[in-house]
Amino acid sequence: MADLSLPQAVTLPNYFSQGLLTLPAELTGSNDAPNLLTAALNSTLHRERWKYSKTAPVLEGLNSAMSLPTIVGGEQPGIQINHEPQQNLGFGFDLSQAPEAFARLCYAQQVLFIHIEKALEVPLEIHHCDSTVPVLLSLGRNAEATLLENFVGNLKPQNTLWISLAESSRLKHSRNSLDQAQLHWQYLAVDIGKNADYLLNNHTTGAGLRRQDIQIRISGQGANAELISAAMIGGKMALDQQVTLEHLVPNGKSKQVVHNIVADGGKCTFNGRIHIHEGASGTDATLANKNLGLGKNATINTKPELEIYTDDVTCAHGATIGQLSDQELFYLTSRGISPEAAQALLSEGFLRQCTQGPLAEAALPILINAIKQEQAA
Amino acid sequence: MSLLEVTNLHATVGAQDQQKAILKGLNISVNPGEVHAIMGPNGSGKSTLANVLSGRPGYTITDGSMTLADADLAELEPHERAQLGLFLAFQYPVEIPGVSNMEFLKASVDSLARARGEEQPNTAAFIKQVRLLATSVDLDPQFLKRGVNEGFSGGEKKRNEIMQLLLLEPKLAILDETDSGLDIDALQVVAEGVNRYKNENNGVVLITHYQRLLDYIVPDFVHVLADGKIVQSGDKSLALELEEKGYAWLT
Repeated sequence: MADLSLPQAVTLPNYFSQGLLTLPAELTGSNDAPNLLTAALNSTLHRERWKYSKTAPVLEGLNSAMSLPTIVGGEQPGIQINHEPQQNLGFGFDLSQAPEAFARLCYAQQVLFIHIEKALEVPLEIHHCDSTVPVLLSLGRNAEATLLENFVGNLKPQNTLWISLAESSRLKHSRNSLDQAQLHWQYLAVDIGKNADYLLNNHTTGAGLRRQDIQIRISGQGANAELISAAMIGGKMALDQQVTLEHLVPNGKSKQVVHNIVADGGKCTFNGRIHIHEGASGTDATLANKNLGLGKNATINTKPELEIYTDDVTCAHGATIGQLSDQELFYLTSRGISPEAAQALLSEGFLRQCTQGPLAEAALPILINAIKQEQAA
Repeated sequence: MSLLEVTNLHATVGAQDQQKAILKGLNISVNPGEVHAIMGPNGSGKSTLANVLSGRPGYTITDGSMTLADADLAELEPHERAQLGLFLAFQYPVEIPGVSNMEFLKASVDSLARARGEEQPNTAAFIKQVRLLATSVDLDPQFLKRGVNEGFSGGEKKRNEIMQLLLLEPKLAILDETDSGLDIDALQVVAEGVNRYKNENNGVVLITHYQRLLDYIVPDFVHVLADGKIVQSGDKSLALELEEKGYAWLT
């Protein structure tokens, strides 16, 4: 296997030397960032995470042109938007988890720092059109916000978002990625502080390839993370979801429910890893990934993983791959509903279970329409 | 003309290479306006009869015939049988998360109307009608927003079946042990629903283990099914006799 490499040498932005962002542990005290990044890219761990998607095309795009996303709701009291960090707000960077995301942050000519310091009155909206500059969003103590994120684009867009939630803050994050790009990479890292709450409602379709990396860290006691995700992957489309949920401290809670439908000729990969670190006792973590294949040639890879290094935790995970239930189909048809209509109702119901939050209303018709198109095909 | 005519029905269950004969020459004839109760020991084929009539996959008819209003049921898919006017109240109603009860009922009513060339009901009037029906079988209308039977108790599921019976107004209703697992109050609600449904133009086939239901829904005929055949028929007094003596004297 050829060695992976970055498209250009990485230069660390000044924020790091100024202490406004904290370097990944691997780079602290080193002046050999380029080589350490290359090593991280070629590590077994990293290759494993990119096993089902080609890495090189994403790496090639890391330093390509990016535009500012459109922000709506940024004018209200309680939000500051800057291109430089004003203070160190606790964003976490982990080279072993995502060297490419870190590299992209370093390449960016411009970065958007959004800080929310109280409870917002109206949602904050981030609209991405194609590749957008890295966004770092922080919520201060007791701040509360709803974040609506929407994506449109077609070629090879990349979007990276880091979120840091301070003590007792709450973020309800909804994300629609319903446009069909050739190759869309979305990276999301969330660090959740003490007693803070994070919810992500994720709705997506397939694309040429859509790759969603979601890395959530529970780093404060009593924090809570929830991921609810629905995807409809059409024929010739692909989706690769790589989710890591880390519990670093005691008494955190996490719940993940991911429902994916894959049409004939479509491909879906879900890799969900829950990592409960040593000492994170009292953790309660669940993960359920259900996949529905609509045709004989639907490809579904799913790998739920648990790594537990402490006792006294509650943890459950499960993954299913299946087709529509005969029992349910018979129940519906016994009431006069045609088999085709019954299949559509059940497929819609399968996604509806995970289509929630403020962007659900926009997402649902598109997901349902995608199901209907596949049925007609 | 009889509504349901089942003649010498033989049916097996199971995959091709390991079929097990369950129905072995069953005859029953239901006329409009009649209530037929079918009783019998466990494993005699009661639920199989309900499943074969409604077209549940997994059964094979090996001989005999079954017609509803002169149409050959064996030739029809389950949804076509329903469109013709057949209704099965399930012994174990299925939970379908993500599909709301209201959405399901509307899809059902619309399909039936379309198949019969009738106009589909307007949504507002339909919702009102369903809410009233739900209340009439002691189901909280809030349930209509939930997934089909999702998280319903056993009794709620059965009342939901009866609500559908009242909404869909089939020609023939087959109730497969709708009384099992019900407390007395729920049993009365279910019976009251069935009595409200029945009229001189439709028929009821009531599959039950217990005579108690027949105190509330009075059958015109009681049949004993044993080893895949009707072995005894009579009026409602037969049910009382069975309650007293069991099935052993017949089988």
